Amino acid sequence: MAKETFTEVITVANSGEADVKKSRSALPWIADNGIFIFTALLLLFAALFVDGFASLVNITDVFHRAAPIGIVAAGMTFVVISGNYLDLSVVAQVATSAVIMLAVSNLYGVPIAMLAALGAAVLYALINGIAVGYFKANAVIVTLSTTYIGVGVLRFFSGGSIFFGPEDGPIRAFGTSKLGPIPYSAIVLIIVTLVLAFVLNRTNFGFVVRSFGSNESATRLGGVNTGLVIIGAFFVTALAAMVAGWVLAAFSNTAVSSMSTGYDFQALAAIIVGGTSVFGGKGSVLRTLLGVIFVSVLTNVLVLSNISFGYQQLALGVLIVVAVTVDALSRKAGKR
Amino acid sequence: MSHNQTIQIGQRETTLIGKLRLRLARRTEGRAVVLLAVVLIVVSFTEPLVFTAYQVSLGRIALIGLVALGLTAVILMGELDLSVASTLAVSGVVMALIPDVRLGVVVALGVGLLIGFINGFFVAVVGINSFIATLGMLFALRGLAFILSDEAPVRIADTDAGIAFGLAIIGPLTPRVLIFILAFILLQIFVSRVKAGREFFAVGGNRQAAYDAGIPVKRRIFTGFMISGFVASLAGAINTLERTAADPRAGLTVLLASFAAAIIGGNYLKGGRGSIVGTLIGATALGVLQVAFTLSGVQVPVQEIFIGLILLLAVTTDPASLRAVVGGIRSVFQGRLKFQS
Repeated sequence: MAKETFTEVITVANSGEADVKKSRSALPWIADNGIFIFTALLLLFAALFVDGFASLVNITDVFHRAAPIGIVAAGMTFVVISGNYLDLSVVAQVATSAVIMLAVSNLYGVPIAMLAALGAAVLYALINGIAVGYFKANAVIVTLSTTYIGVGVLRFFSGGSIFFGPEDGPIRAFGTSKLGPIPYSAIVLIIVTLVLAFVLNRTNFGFVVRSFGSNESATRLGGVNTGLVIIGAFFVTALAAMVAGWVLAAFSNTAVSSMSTGYDFQALAAIIVGGTSVFGGKGSVLRTLLGVIFVSVLTNVLVLSNISFGYQQLALGVLIVVAVTVDALSRKAGKR
Repeated sequence: MSHNQTIQIGQRETTLIGKLRLRLARRTEGRAVVLLAVVLIVVSFTEPLVFTAYQVSLGRIALIGLVALGLTAVILMGELDLSVASTLAVSGVVMALIPDVRLGVVVALGVGLLIGFINGFFVAVVGINSFIATLGMLFALRGLAFILSDEAPVRIADTDAGIAFGLAIIGPLTPRVLIFILAFILLQIFVSRVKAGREFFAVGGNRQAAYDAGIPVKRRIFTGFMISGFVASLAGAINTLERTAADPRAGLTVLLASFAAAIIGGNYLKGGRGSIVGTLIGATALGVLQVAFTLSGVQVPVQEIFIGLILLLAVTTDPASLRAVVGGIRSVFQGRLKFQS
């Protein structure tokens, strides 16, 4: 079907939301552009008032920690835009990929390890995608259960032990290399973000994902196999989580089943703060990158200021709720 | 769909079998009954100790079931409360921090009500999807539990009260089981006999119609989340009393099992269908399963895999999901599109 007529269908179906920009309330503007200002303010604050933030060592550390979360978030943006809330199972996926990378490459070499990790990613995408896309099951519950299944399988086979890579292997070399102050992992993050941004904005698949999130029935009426679209969105997430697992394994040169705890949550925070709507249909991968910067710098500032883990979690939880509230209220303001 | 149902109910079935079929068709607990039957049969062959040590099994069922009961109230309205696990942890820690046990329990229950109110506010007033709102709360409250407890288990001051609480008072029943039974009866009466409770089904089935019919939808949503928060904090207080300490990490293991219990109990996630009895059956099945696993020394990861599989199965086998799949397959073979909405 021609893309133009398709766009028309979607536009007509969503004509009620077209007024968002005309409203007088400041909320839609904040929801759209707030992240730029808040990120700039946060960076300024951190550089001026937080001891040790503006040092080369710390910046590299922020990059290192932001890279895997950012890659996961870039992939998960697809699931969020498709209107399926989020993929909680990225926690299990990242850990699985990292463990496979180190455990298998020790025995059979890196290429086989990459293939094995890819197989795991395909499996995750199929289970999540079929359950959500064809069985119309709730994505949060489905991915919650696949998280437990995945982590359980991983812990069962690894026995909860920690895997180490060889000190002089190619994985270790990749994890420690830098381009100036920027570690390779951050470069991977930027490449993944650019590729996924291209996929989302310029390909048919990305177009259908966005239209599905904005109006599911219209997309189905347009003759799109919506089940496949969902599987595709979960596949993008699984691939990103796989790459994130590799980067994480390379950075620390160790892998354990619990290494990616909290990634689901930090990635979601980054996506929502970046301005991608949990109601589906609206968002971008580049914005998610901005959200990742915001969340990572915030976490770094909290760590540098010796604020305990509990407060960090509380802050991120509140951040999510506030960001979603702004999004929801701006929608309401737009509809009036 | 509701149209079809009206026709079905309108038909007069006169034969006994016809009446029975009609009665069964209206129930939603089918899958829970099947799961319970399978679990009971397998367990009675492999690990009959579960029935001998029925006090342990009852305690486990009560733990899973209590949280699941609160969840049911929310699920009936088509919402979900993911924050129950953290509510349990926070209220447990709050209770342990207060030296006087009675006051502690009251304050803990108040905390649960407050959390439910906040959840209800975000869902009913702000209009955030409950999955996301309560997910945010799940993490925020977990952080709060860590802050309040300084990231370590908190002992309660009055250990004797805790030990006394673990003892059976009526026959073999401990206070925990009695509270669970009481909560079950109260909720069952509430959703089946009380007007406000009946309206939960209406809110979940068709929110706009409920609104048009003059049902105070927002107030019902508040009620539902406050029930769920209250019940979760009750579970937190009971846990803390029984263990004489509050763990800020508590609740994560209960989360998955209680969701599985509520969903396999036939409570449709989009709302409007389900029953408290179904939740009870589901909780019984999962409780027995968990105790059997523990008694026969199955590793924790394997237990998690099993509970996860049951949850995945529960959420993919509800009637609407199966209809979607069957419709999809049929449309492939008939070569034309089938629209479901």
